[in-house]
Parts: sequence; structure tokens; C-alpha cells
Amino acid sequence: MNAIEVENLSRSFNSLQAVDHITFSVAAGEIFGFLGHNGAGKTTTIRMLSGQLLPSSGYARVAGCDVITEQRRLRPLIGVVSEHQNLYERMSGRENLEFAARLYGQDMRRVDEVLEQVGLTERAKDNVRNYSNGMKQRLLIARALLHRPQIIFLDEPTRGLDPVVGREIRRVILDLSHQGVTIFLTTHYMEEADQLCSRVAFLSDGRIVALDTPDNLKVAHGQNVIKVTLDDGQTLNIALDNEHAGKQVEQLINEGHVRTLHSAEATLEEVFLQMAGRELSE
Amino acid sequence: MNLQVISAITRKDLIDAIRNRYLLTALITPLFVAVLFRVVLPGVNNRNVLTLVVHDSAGSSMIAELRQAPLIGVVDTVSADAIAGEVEKRNAIGGLVVPANFDADVTAGKQPELTVYINNKKNVFEQNAFRQLLDQHVRLLAKYREPARLNWIDVGEDTKALGRGGLSLNVMLLPLLLIMTLGMIGAMVVPLLLVEEKEKRTLDFLLASPASLKEIVAGKALTGVAYTVLIAGLLLFVNRHSIGDWPLTLLTIMLGLLFVVAIGLLMGSLLSNTMQVNTWAGTILVLLLAPSFPSLGFPAAIDMAMRLLPTYYLTEALKLSLAGSASSRIWVHLAAVSVFTAIAFSAAAWALRRRN
Repeated sequence: MNAIEVENLSRSFNSLQAVDHITFSVAAGEIFGFLGHNGAGKTTTIRMLSGQLLPSSGYARVAGCDVITEQRRLRPLIGVVSEHQNLYERMSGRENLEFAARLYGQDMRRVDEVLEQVGLTERAKDNVRNYSNGMKQRLLIARALLHRPQIIFLDEPTRGLDPVVGREIRRVILDLSHQGVTIFLTTHYMEEADQLCSRVAFLSDGRIVALDTPDNLKVAHGQNVIKVTLDDGQTLNIALDNEHAGKQVEQLINEGHVRTLHSAEATLEEVFLQMAGRELSE
Repeated sequence: MNLQVISAITRKDLIDAIRNRYLLTALITPLFVAVLFRVVLPGVNNRNVLTLVVHDSAGSSMIAELRQAPLIGVVDTVSADAIAGEVEKRNAIGGLVVPANFDADVTAGKQPELTVYINNKKNVFEQNAFRQLLDQHVRLLAKYREPARLNWIDVGEDTKALGRGGLSLNVMLLPLLLIMTLGMIGAMVVPLLLVEEKEKRTLDFLLASPASLKEIVAGKALTGVAYTVLIAGLLLFVNRHSIGDWPLTLLTIMLGLLFVVAIGLLMGSLLSNTMQVNTWAGTILVLLLAPSFPSLGFPAAIDMAMRLLPTYYLTEALKLSLAGSASSRIWVHLAAVSVFTAIAFSAAAWALRRRN
């Protein structure tokens, strides 16, 4: 059974078409990557799927609930980690979670469990404004997990974090997936999506331009090359699908100019560039 | 409406508000002003404007008259020597040593000596009032004929309608403090609670949680109500002896509270960050508070303009209810406040729907 089903979903703001007739589905327990440049419509999609924003047209079912007519039933079934660190900064980590527990009608013992799960037990009584970015991110994830949701929407969960904390967050995401939670992830980091997601969708200007597993996308749309670094520091990329590739490499080796030589797979970033016609960071 | 959600939001806001220095300042300002007035004007809560210390062993009819006079408190001492000390101790306007046979000697035209103490710590207006009062009573005792009969006619509001509170300074201050409390709640506390959720994006979290927009707004409004009940309750309790009509006073405050909560929700819906709230709050506060300041003889145009402000009617209703007046005018004022409240709520509902 699919955890998320989306059909022709659109949202416009005055004359701006933020999301333009997107269709996709996410299987239960899957980590689904939703990738796109700034303003592509990722956050708008999350807001519609989490019941925060009504679609202009189309249909979406999340955790078996219609996002337009069953928002009340939907909300306890999902958790949302916003791209902004939207915590109550004058309150402690524990107080933030206790407030969320009251909203969701959860037992206060659950607060201790999620604090333990994200490794914040020691700092639970500290004011959130004294937390590092990584700690805030972990607290956001703890808040989203508090009511044991079936689906978690993670909007850029590792943006602005140092690599060590980013790795820690990715570990938490994988743990959740192993527990059967469906993850809907938006990210700028293609390597992260490649590493975590079973499938990814590329979003550009509100439209899905590609949707498949990262490997399939790379095979179908990427170009495998031989990277040759010459003595003078110049780097040549020789496409493997070029029928003269073998001869070119051989010639370079025979001329004695080659310093290093290795094969390189296409990256998701390159595939995105090819599909969307623009860089992710644009 | 989910009461559990509303109470969770109110509980969170009650705690969070006192950790926010802007909100804390807004909340304690009326209490601070009340304390300040008590320090600057320690006698403000006395219903007697003038307190007089008297040694009157023979029971003069002049002192008996003074005892009956409104706004004058007469305190007796056992000896003439104790008067100066007692005047200082009680911070009275002055003291009188009335000799034996004073009444008879005055009637006989013997010009008996009346020793008068005057407290130099009192301001010149109070000292002059005391001198005139004494002069008037001595002349009355001597059956001194006034050169002409002065016919005094009140123009404007009948101060007798203000009931037992009369001209007490406290009855003038309390409405100001109560309107200030309501103004702070409406112009700062409720809008800041809403706007901060927008500014810090915590509203996104709330809207993705089981809380609906209606429940979020209800939670914020209840926080405003709770803080008003606390602060206005404290002000009323401290001044409990000055309250003429409790039910009417509470009804007036409740209507005022509904009005300011609606204003707060309207501001919170229309504005998007704390800087905007801080900018607008000053203007809104001045408009809300202006009618509650004692009149300083403004031009007629300004006095008329005040009548366009909802708090003019609220202030008038408060003055009458605090003074215990059963005047029908209070219902006119309360009706006006109700109309303004209905308009403010309609505007707030429109703004919230627009946001949604």
C-alpha cells in the first residue's frame, strides 16, 4: 500500500505556479527524495501534503487521508521537520517536547524516549537558544517523532550543518526507515539523496522532470566517463559511449602525458543539470 | 474546538510570555505605575482628601461641622503637645488646638486664639485649601454675614453622580490603570503572541499539528484573558475599598477585555513581525489610553474627537461603575463599547480568514 499518493497536484500563488500538476506515489517504509533548486516547489508540496496549505487543484492522499477533506485525521499520522528551525527558543528542549506532547495527547514518558533516541537527554533542560544547529535539528526530529507518525516529512534536514552532524542526522533517518517509518525528504545535497533514498524525484519550476531510483537515473541520463589528468594539470573527460574513447586514451598513454586515469560515474547532480537545465544551487 | 489543544497553547504562552522581556514589560507596566503612584502620592487611596489632627477638649461646634464635611478626616489627640508629632506621623494637612469656651468666646466677639499647625510637606494647593476651609468655618461660627449670596451652579457632569467615591484621586487613577492593563493586552501581548509564531515559523509547526487555526487563536486570546484577569484582579483587590459597584465594574472590564482581545487578534493577523507590532503598539496604546487621562482642559475639538474612541465609553463606564453610580448613562456607555467590540471582532475574523 502506498503511504503517499499524489495526482495532478497544483498550487498557485496569484500568477505564480509554484507546483504544476505533479503526480507520484511513495511506498510505505520508503525513503523518497524530492530534489530541486530553490523555489522549485518542494516546500509548497510538503505544506500541501501535511495539510498546512490547500492545493489549487489535484488530489493527494497521505497515510490514507485526503489532504483536503481529512486534515484533522491526517495530522496525528504525520510528522514534519521544517526547513526552518522553528523551535520555541525561550523554552528548554524538554519544554518544547512537552508542549508538543500535550498537543498530540501523548504521555510525558514519551518525551524521555525521544530525547534518548536523538541523544539530547543530557541537555534537555537547557534553553534551546543555547543549542547548536545540530542539536536544534535533532530536537526538531525528536518533536516530529514524538507521536509515532507513520510518515515524516523532512525539509532540508541537513542544510547548514557540519559534516559530522549531517552524518548523525542521516543515521537517525536510516534508523527511522528501518523502523518502518516512511520518509519524504527534500534536500539540496545530491550525495545525501543518493546515499539515503530508494527513489528520487527531480522538481524544476513546479514540475517533476524525472522520477526513479538514483541508479536508474544515473544510468539512463548520466554519462560515464574516463577522467584523464595530464602532466600539465589539465583534466580531460572522455565519454565511454564515444566509439573512439579507447583509441583516445591509448594515444594519450602512448604520448606519455598521462599523470592519472580513472573511470567516473555520472552523479545525480549532473543528471539533474541535464534534466532540469539548471544547477541545483541556482 | 479541542480544549486539550487550546489549554496546551495557553499554558505554553503563559510561561513563554513572562520570559519575553517585551511582553513582561507590557504586563507589569500597569502594576508598576500603580506602585509608583502609591510611592509618589502615599495618600492616594484615602477617601479623605484632607486629614486634620485636632485637640478639642470642649467639643467645639466648628470641629463637629468639620467632622461632617465630605473629604475631610478629623483625628483627635489627647493633648495639644502631641499635635505636631501626630501631623507628621499621619502626614496630615495640619492640626488645630481648640481652646475651651472657643464657641462662646467667638459668639461674644472676644477673638479667642486658635492655634493652627500646617504641614510644610504638603503642596501649596493643599495648604491653601486648608486655609480657606478653616477661614470659612470660623466665619460661619461667628455668624459672619457674607457680603453676597453666591449661587454655585455645576456645568457639565454632575460630580454627585459619582457616588461615594466622589473626587477621590484613586477613583480617577483606577480607570487609567485598568485601561492601561487592557491596552497592553490588546496592543502588545495578544498581537505579539500571534506575530511571534509567524515570525519564528512556529505557526507552521502548530498548523501541521492537531491544532486548527481557530484553536491557536483561541489559545492566544485565552492567554490575554488570563493575564488581564490576573493584573486587573490585583488592581481591583488592592483598591477594593474604592469600588462602588462590583458587578458593573466586572461587567465593564469584561466588555473591555473582549474589545482589546479583538484588537489584538486583528493586529496579530495583519502584522507579520515584532518590529511592526512594536511600531503600531505605541500609536494604538496612545489612542486607547487618551480618553482615560484626567482632562487637562483640552480644546473642544479634541474632547469631541475623544468620543470617537471606544475607550472613551469604556473609561466613562468604569468611572461610573467604580463610583457605584446607578446612572442609566452607564448602560449607554456599555452599549457603545459592545458595538465597538462587535466591529473589532468582525474585522479580526475577516483578517484571520484572509490569512487562511
